[in-house]
Amino acid sequence: MQFFAFHLMPWDRLPADFGDRYETAWTWLPNSMYDPQHGHALYNRYLDELVLAEELGFDGVCVNEHHQNAYGTMPSPNLMGAILARQTKRVKIAVIGNALPLYNPPTRVAEEFAMIDVISGGRLIAGLVVGGGPEYYSFTVNPTFARSMFHEAMDLVLRAWTEPGPFEHYGEHWKLKYVNPWPRPIQQPHPTIWIPGAGSKETIELVAARRFGYMGIPYFHIDFFRKNFDAFREACEKNGYTASPYQLGWLCPIYVAETDEQAWAEYEKHLFYFAHHLLKGLVVLPPGYTSIRSIAGIHKALGSFLSNAKSRDDIERGAYAIVGSPATVRQKIAEYAKELGVGNLLGLFQLGTLPADLTRKNMTTFARLEVGG
Amino acid sequence: MKTTFHEIRGRRTQVTVGGDGPPLVYLHSAGGETQWAPFHAMLAERFTVYLPAHPGFDSSEGLETIRDIQDLAWHYIDLFAELKLSAVPVVGFSLGAWIACEMSVLRPQLASKLVLTAAAGLHVPGSPMAELFIDDLAKLRKLLFFDPAGPAVNEAMPESLDDPRIYLWLKAREATARVGWNPYLHNPRLRQHLWRIAQPALVLWGRQDKLIPLTHGEAYARELPNARLEVIENCGHMVPWEKPAEFAEAAVRFLRDE
Repeated sequence: MQFFAFHLMPWDRLPADFGDRYETAWTWLPNSMYDPQHGHALYNRYLDELVLAEELGFDGVCVNEHHQNAYGTMPSPNLMGAILARQTKRVKIAVIGNALPLYNPPTRVAEEFAMIDVISGGRLIAGLVVGGGPEYYSFTVNPTFARSMFHEAMDLVLRAWTEPGPFEHYGEHWKLKYVNPWPRPIQQPHPTIWIPGAGSKETIELVAARRFGYMGIPYFHIDFFRKNFDAFREACEKNGYTASPYQLGWLCPIYVAETDEQAWAEYEKHLFYFAHHLLKGLVVLPPGYTSIRSIAGIHKALGSFLSNAKSRDDIERGAYAIVGSPATVRQKIAEYAKELGVGNLLGLFQLGTLPADLTRKNMTTFARLEVGG
Repeated sequence: MKTTFHEIRGRRTQVTVGGDGPPLVYLHSAGGETQWAPFHAMLAERFTVYLPAHPGFDSSEGLETIRDIQDLAWHYIDLFAELKLSAVPVVGFSLGAWIACEMSVLRPQLASKLVLTAAAGLHVPGSPMAELFIDDLAKLRKLLFFDPAGPAVNEAMPESLDDPRIYLWLKAREATARVGWNPYLHNPRLRQHLWRIAQPALVLWGRQDKLIPLTHGEAYARELPNARLEVIENCGHMVPWEKPAEFAEAAVRFLRDE
């Protein structure tokens, strides 16, 4: 099993009356709430936590992209990836991912990812994503073109990495006379590619056919992961090969402390700040972003989404987060990882308002327990 | 009335026709009122009403080849030719009124007179259109109607995601977003062409339209060379649903007498 430390870099200071006054932590949440002085401390603290992951022996660190929200204050994960490329020496740097339709032209992604790969000496994992529903409101990019823009951009980025330039790209959404990005990535033929998915059949088939990695989008009930990972393995078989466990990643909030009771006492309020405040408004379905037929399925799965969890019991039953003593955490991770058949565990060790001291204690305890063991 | 299908340059297009009298074309809104509604019936007392469904709405196909509002305008130019319609009155509501304008800029002879009801299509500085693409149907009802508890509301739109009409509603939403997401429900270059629409036009608006404020109606009435604005009181954006009699009377009076 490979262990990754994933950071969302959340905003931890929403007003006490947020729940009553605001319908969403996304897109429309007034940015007057963002305090740049506190942001200065927060960004540096969060980066330190990812650097700590290398010191503790983790295999990699993960960052991702979201815009105009309090859930994750990382509109440019590539900036974070670039900093980590210099501040770490060994870990994989997984940027999962760049929301391709938001980059114009998307050759920008080929360039920036190649820069991170070259600076880090080939340690980049390149995540390619469609972007979340809120992003289509925040960027006013037409969601009815989301899928076709993603596919065109993905092909273009791969071609830019693997085919000698300059060449012409003449697509539906972009027309580029001279595609010839400098630098080229160190990893050949191109960096490892991970694509996150929330169970859409189209995404599963695409990732299986191209032999990329499939990362399950979190906050759904554990049964939802199980179903999607089974579907992925099946899709790989249909493509004539058996999926490697390293093609699958399970992203999950983790908190470990001395005892189960202490873990819950320390963690609970921070977890629910995340579940009830920061997740509020994450799932929106802009028109055309999802096929009409899959909206019904998503609607159903949302009934068992983390934001609906009210108690410790709900969390444990859905395995929305793994919380407890070292023995509990170790046993649960072993059990679920086996059930899901995953080779990558992407742990969220900081969540919501979880402060620096508890985050470090959590990561250190977890590393002693699992990492390198 | 009768529903038939026509191949319009490769797009299978649903057209419902009903009523008696000279032809009239009704171009529907983002809400997709493609099933015969009370206000269609009222117009059909005096006219033979042609009610086509735009590509991607109801059983009309071909949204894949629609990229923007001008593609829709050309679709209607082709549809008018196929149905042998020319110099006929065109009644448009919201998205449909916007299409009627775009089509008339390109082919002024197709519409003899225009009824533009709560028309999308313009950007009016300081008077933004509200967000139509929200998931919350209760909020949407408040946005679209003067009286969100009125009798027409449940006829006009699904009650919840479990309503069987939700499938057509989601299709309509997607087909609207295709041409109306960005720029938002307007064409920045339409205004500079409105002088080309010289035929008589009635601009009909609900006083309390919260989606497309009345200032947009005033802008249309000002920029169109031969237009008059009529405001319906105690009425939101959904004029034909909320005030069907006033809507149909105003349209018929204008089309027959003026």
